[in-house]
Amino acid sequence: MVDDDKLKELKARIQTAKTTNTPPPKKNKESGAGFGFKISSEIIAALVVGVGIGLIVDKYLGTKPFGLIIFFIFGALAGFLNVYRVMRRIEKQ
Amino acid sequence: MATKGEKHSPLEQFEIIPYSKTQLGGYDISFTNSSLSMIITVAVITLFLTLTVNPRSLVPTRMQLISELMYNFIAQLLSDTVGDNGKKYFPFVFSLFMFVLIGNMVGMVPYQFTFTSHIIVTFALASIVFIGVTILGFVNHGIKFFTFFYIPGVPFYMHPLLIPIEIISYLSRPISLSVRLFANMLAGHTLLKVFAGFVVAMPFFTGALPLVFIVALTGLEILIAFLQAYVFAILTCLYINDAYHLH
Repeated sequence: MVDDDKLKELKARIQTAKTTNTPPPKKNKESGAGFGFKISSEIIAALVVGVGIGLIVDKYLGTKPFGLIIFFIFGALAGFLNVYRVMRRIEKQ
Repeated sequence: MATKGEKHSPLEQFEIIPYSKTQLGGYDISFTNSSLSMIITVAVITLFLTLTVNPRSLVPTRMQLISELMYNFIAQLLSDTVGDNGKKYFPFVFSLFMFVLIGNMVGMVPYQFTFTSHIIVTFALASIVFIGVTILGFVNHGIKFFTFFYIPGVPFYMHPLLIPIEIISYLSRPISLSVRLFANMLAGHTLLKVFAGFVVAMPFFTGALPLVFIVALTGLEILIAFLQAYVFAILTCLYINDAYHLH
């Protein structure tokens, strides 16, 4: 039948159009600078909070300089924890 | 070439210029170029969304399609990250996303001020998210919200070490959220101006080289403007999700 042939032809054309026109699967690719900002902001933020708490503790408890030292270390560890979580989230995607 | 005495600093663009000097209760509430930029942003968002969706046609026009795409984008983001609970927060996340996105885009227009390149603006936005999410956590879980800082399955002697780290990590959220947006916008716009300076300063026709670079960089900046708004929105969603599901 003529209609059948036409339909088959159309099907083939749709098939080729689909394979050629479908965009490649979206990759969430960021620029290197964007990735750098992401990681560095995590570390900086945790350090800022750690140092801030340390300075406040020193000021009000008079434990200078131990509060700063201890909370600086805590801040650094929290920064690494943040980076670890970001990396795990990226790997999941 | 820039003569001596003239100021052509790449950081000049970030200067706050007050249009009126207003004091209220000892606080400076002058109307500045930053405020103007924000008003333009809100006006652009409101006008664009209301005008394009106004015909309410079943088969959308191109402009209506853009609005619907943005709506779907955030709705999808919320349902992916938060789930069914997320629908309630759609207006909040959508406003935040649009404000940051259009704010960044308005900042890309030459001579226009970029308010997202000021950390106080981004920090205020991030603080709203942080305070809101913390209140949400307490509303949902009450005092049990504090178990958010307690990691199960860890030897008991590790807790004195881990709980302060978890608390600092939690408190660092608004800072990392605001620093990321601010640093990206600041760095991008400074870079553009630095290369713009090269165009003028380089001899003969070699100035065309940095000009080409600026064109490419502007494209990248628009990408970053979108990406940062997206990151801001997705992190807000993740934090809202954390307020529902501890761990």
